[in-house]
Amino acid sequence: MSAADDNGRELEGDEALAAEYVLGVLSADERKEVARRVGAEPAFARLVDEWEVRLADLGAAYQPVEPPAGVTTAIDRALFASAVSPVNERSGIWTSLAFWRAAAFAAIVGLAIAIAIPLLSPAPAPVAAPERLLASLSADGSDIRYVALYDAGRGAVSLSHESGQKAAGYDFELWVIEDGDAAPVSLGVIPDGATAELSLTEEHRRHVADGGLFAISLEPAGGSPTGAPTGPVVAAGELRSL
Amino acid sequence: MTPQDITKLIVRTAMKDRAAFDLLYRRTSAKLFGVCLRVLNDHAEAEEALQEVFLKVWTKADRFAASDLSPISWLVAIARNHSIDRLRARRQPTGDVAAATEVADSAPGPEALAVAGGEAARVHACLDELEHDRAAAVRGAYLKGESYAELAERHGVPLNTMRTWLRRSLLKLRECLER
Repeated sequence: MSAADDNGRELEGDEALAAEYVLGVLSADERKEVARRVGAEPAFARLVDEWEVRLADLGAAYQPVEPPAGVTTAIDRALFASAVSPVNERSGIWTSLAFWRAAAFAAIVGLAIAIAIPLLSPAPAPVAAPERLLASLSADGSDIRYVALYDAGRGAVSLSHESGQKAAGYDFELWVIEDGDAAPVSLGVIPDGATAELSLTEEHRRHVADGGLFAISLEPAGGSPTGAPTGPVVAAGELRSL
Repeated sequence: MTPQDITKLIVRTAMKDRAAFDLLYRRTSAKLFGVCLRVLNDHAEAEEALQEVFLKVWTKADRFAASDLSPISWLVAIARNHSIDRLRARRQPTGDVAAATEVADSAPGPEALAVAGGEAARVHACLDELEHDRAAAVRGAYLKGESYAELAERHGVPLNTMRTWLRRSLLKLRECLER
């Protein structure tokens, strides 16, 4: 290396440290100290993020390699093994079972029609605000299943508990997440029972009307103490027009 | 899968949506495994690292909002930094393996240029304004997590000289990117 094009100036202080951390040239001890400061000092964390952004496009050179299947199993075990108690199949007659099955069937038919209509009609019809929204809530590896129906006319969410039990001392809490970066908004703790209903405030109705996702998390009895989900999401599903 | 889609999956992962997390893994694990493998150069260790990376993603997904990185770059940064931390924690550097892949990293390579497109061309164009071996040192450090000590040894200069060279290069790079 020659020094022909050097003008003698170089990065200094925290700016240099941030760049060197992102570049990856620091020692183990130096990296630990930088990581600690990133957690403790927002201004320094900003410097590091700016260097991550400057150099990010170099990462395009990393070629994808499919990982072995065992990795995902290990992740699941590590994260989710103790999240939900073992589940016994519910017994007894659900008074509204026939209705819920019909509703789920209607949702499938509705979806098929929604897909077919653009193919059949030359001009799209104006879209009205959905009157009723349906979500089938489930998650891989969890046997908690709910069907949720939002009726805009009544401003309430009806829930049918299809399967899965919660651990003693816990409650299921329902959340709505709008598309994009919105934080989840609690719609309340789901009352026990094969069917349940949550009445929504005006503000909650607006969140739900905007669509997105319903999710159910496992929370301490009485619901999340923080206003944000604290437990695992045991079921989730997209809101679809019915 | 668009960046918006990955953003949604990260946001939903932040609120502990397990289905979104599973989908995020399916969509991004190959890229992140590529990062772990390149830095660690050891299949078994890269598998462990990948597992830890996704545990970090699960617990730290809420911090994505604070970053200006694109969603995939944010994930790559987590995988890179974690792999480099593991690399530094090793007692002995695996010199032979590192040397074997050295040639491929001395230039951007068609892969880097082809995959990246317009935006990426900027950082490569700015690196091209540096002297060849200094640009190679920056790329080698970034892609493989080489330390100052390793770079100094490979380029046959004292560690302090290498530090000065890289700090000058990084300043020029920043100035070029801000032009």
